[in-house]
Amino acid sequence: MSIVLDGTNGITTPELDSSGPVAGTTADFSGNVTLGSSVLATPTGSAPSYTCRAWVNFNGTATVAIRASGNVSSITDNGTGDYTVNFATAMPDADYSGIVMSGSPGVVDTLNSIVGGNPTSSAFRFTCRSYTAVSTDPVYVNVAIFR
Amino acid sequence: MNRIIYKTDEGGVAVIIPADCGLTIEEIAAKDVPPNTPYEIVDVSQIPSDRTFRGAWSWE
Repeated sequence: MSIVLDGTNGITTPELDSSGPVAGTTADFSGNVTLGSSVLATPTGSAPSYTCRAWVNFNGTATVAIRASGNVSSITDNGTGDYTVNFATAMPDADYSGIVMSGSPGVVDTLNSIVGGNPTSSAFRFTCRSYTAVSTDPVYVNVAIFR
Repeated sequence: MNRIIYKTDEGGVAVIIPADCGLTIEEIAAKDVPPNTPYEIVDVSQIPSDRTFRGAWSWE
């Protein structure tokens, strides 16, 4: 494998393609890395950084619709304030961290919790409730999965 | 724009909203509908937009 470091043109990695990086590849960067048109800033400090493995932003009201997503094959509308995120590619196990942030303009609070049994490697189900514990459909539902 | 619907164990209706992930809706149905559960692919216009009585939805 050859990696070309060029002060003008950046880093050329001809053996890296859409299938992902070669196993065992490591790199030590002191600046920014550009992937496509996106610049990934090198984090400061020595704490490791972990990327999001799946995410989705959807509208839970009216005709439920996905605004944008990554590694999500679908969402399931199970009922009022009850949704499942189905992963396009499964997680390695069910020990991931599912982060849900939801709400609607003008609404004070929305509480989110895990329901429907334990999370699985292929799906993450949760509910959205008002601060009075009434199931509610938020305008904005954002989910991120870390592992 | 299509949706996948199936009857839940509780007697209600679940609606699957496909994501833009490169899979066909048939592939998503095969993957995301619970095993051995009958389902139907419908146009989104067939799904009510009024969710006031969401818990009362049924599918025959």
